[in-house]
Amino acid sequence: MTGVNASQRNYRVILPENALARWLEWLGGFYTLTGPVGGGVAARFTEISKFEQMDLDYQSTMLPPGKKYLFEPVEEVLSFDVSEGVFSSGPYPPGRKRALIGVHPCDVNAILYLDMVFLSGPYADPFYRARRENTFIIALNCKSVTGLCFCHLVGAGPYLKAVSGYDILLTEIGEEEGAERRGGKNRKFMVELVSEKARELCDVFPFSMGEQPEEKDFEKMSRMEAALLKSFRKNLDMEGVQSALLSRPDHHALKETADSRCLSCSNCVMVCPTCFCHDVMDKTDVSLSRSRRVRRWDACQDISFAQVHGGNFRAQRHARLRQFVYHKLDYEEQFGRKGTVGCGRCIRWCPTGIDLTEIARAMME
Amino acid sequence: MGARRPRAGFFKFTCCSGCGFELAYFQRCLEETLAAFDFAFFRLASSSGTPEGPFDLSLVEGAVTEPFQIIELKKIRQRSKVLYAIGSCAITGGIPAIKALAPEAQVEGAAYKERLYGLASTRPHVINDYVQVDGFIRGCPPGERDLFEALSSALMGKDPEFTEYSVCMECKMADNKCVLVEEGLPCMGPVTNAGCGALCPAHHRACYGCFGLMGQANIHALKGRFRELGHFSEEDIENRFFTLFGALGKTERK
Repeated sequence: MTGVNASQRNYRVILPENALARWLEWLGGFYTLTGPVGGGVAARFTEISKFEQMDLDYQSTMLPPGKKYLFEPVEEVLSFDVSEGVFSSGPYPPGRKRALIGVHPCDVNAILYLDMVFLSGPYADPFYRARRENTFIIALNCKSVTGLCFCHLVGAGPYLKAVSGYDILLTEIGEEEGAERRGGKNRKFMVELVSEKARELCDVFPFSMGEQPEEKDFEKMSRMEAALLKSFRKNLDMEGVQSALLSRPDHHALKETADSRCLSCSNCVMVCPTCFCHDVMDKTDVSLSRSRRVRRWDACQDISFAQVHGGNFRAQRHARLRQFVYHKLDYEEQFGRKGTVGCGRCIRWCPTGIDLTEIARAMME
Repeated sequence: MGARRPRAGFFKFTCCSGCGFELAYFQRCLEETLAAFDFAFFRLASSSGTPEGPFDLSLVEGAVTEPFQIIELKKIRQRSKVLYAIGSCAITGGIPAIKALAPEAQVEGAAYKERLYGLASTRPHVINDYVQVDGFIRGCPPGERDLFEALSSALMGKDPEFTEYSVCMECKMADNKCVLVEEGLPCMGPVTNAGCGALCPAHHRACYGCFGLMGQANIHALKGRFRELGHFSEEDIENRFFTLFGALGKTERK
């Protein structure tokens, strides 16, 4: 955190938790507050009304917040009614603005990845864009690392390095001395206003409740980050992985893992914060007058995913597993970066615990 | 749509009539369905009607457990342009197939106080053991999504796109708690064909596979996981896969 210039510092303040809570609840007048409820590795992003409902010590969630709220599991993109001559192109933009509170660095990076998928190129997705513009992202640097995290290998965490694409960055930097809050200590958060949108809210931001950060605070953050970096247990040679994967597509590690453990259940894809595949289908009424075109998350592990005219080009289980592993650890050509943000969800939520980093490691040996 | 409504028939073999009931109870579009099709034969909805064809669309529920059913089934096939098997009994054997786990005479003896020597009951069979089937509307009873897909596709003259993925997909899309990973329940979701909307896991119950196994279901991988859970005997695990909705699978494996 060295090298911070003075103008940037003006948008930083150290706030006690109770002041942050009051300010966020005030923000609830403009945004539907959505944050991590229930702690540990299986918290769930849910709409909340009180700050206390959230557990900002949470480590991970099953569904990633960005994917859940920006790229909805099922959504109508178009509908028409022939009998009435009504044609509508879906219910967008979404009605309410949403604030996602406490999004971890890996998940912010995943949102930046989804931005490339849905917003870059000549055809930006209007549904995604409408929700993205209506979403206020309050990121939260991690204070602990799980055994499955490997964000450090791809620069996606544990502290957020991206300088745009989100609004506010929070970092817990200790507890307020002498101030006991009901039910626990009153923690202090470094609050950084990153986006213009966030800075415009400064007028009503409770700066008076906090204090200006000093050099020692930034030094403390650097120490905390360094300590976190040492606590990662997963490791993989990310430089060497691409050539190893490309040169050994029929490696026995893929086939053996597929045969002995892969269920083709697609849990890995569903919980992946960067998996963006979707299917579009028409649902026509039995009256044949009304029709709805629906977009739904799709998954490369499904047997019918690669079914095309003439055959199925990934009819074998290991070919589908390979597609997932390669899309996360290889295929950088697609968006100029790897598809993984190292959140570890695909490992945690796989019913048989298949670990893509273990497959890659075996393929590199 | 042309002037003539497609002629449809609904036929029942050995089952609980739940699939027929599901169609009669098709809340979202029952009225439209009855208006769109000429249900020439649907005993649960009307006592009149004739099983004589021809039918544009036939739906057949139930397992085959008696010889006369085989003859009827073949006739239905001959009279039908499109024939879908509907429900687990017709597709996987379902509940009637449980009797495949014991000798026929033993089952009859348990079911009837006195042996009925006139009873011509046979081993249970799925309907595509006997006739070519154009598609499977899975479930016990079938989910609305696939039933709807079958009916609207028949009206549009296109091939239906039936659900072909795991229950886990539906469960994740609903952001349900994972009862297998989080609670260690022996959930069949990862190998079970979706279509139910992950009904049981949404209510904190393990899926018991009533929609039947999905294509390429990796049974031994999930068995391995159930073993790792540590509190199930080998028999428990075997029963999980091969009793309620997989009895025919067990007999095939012998």
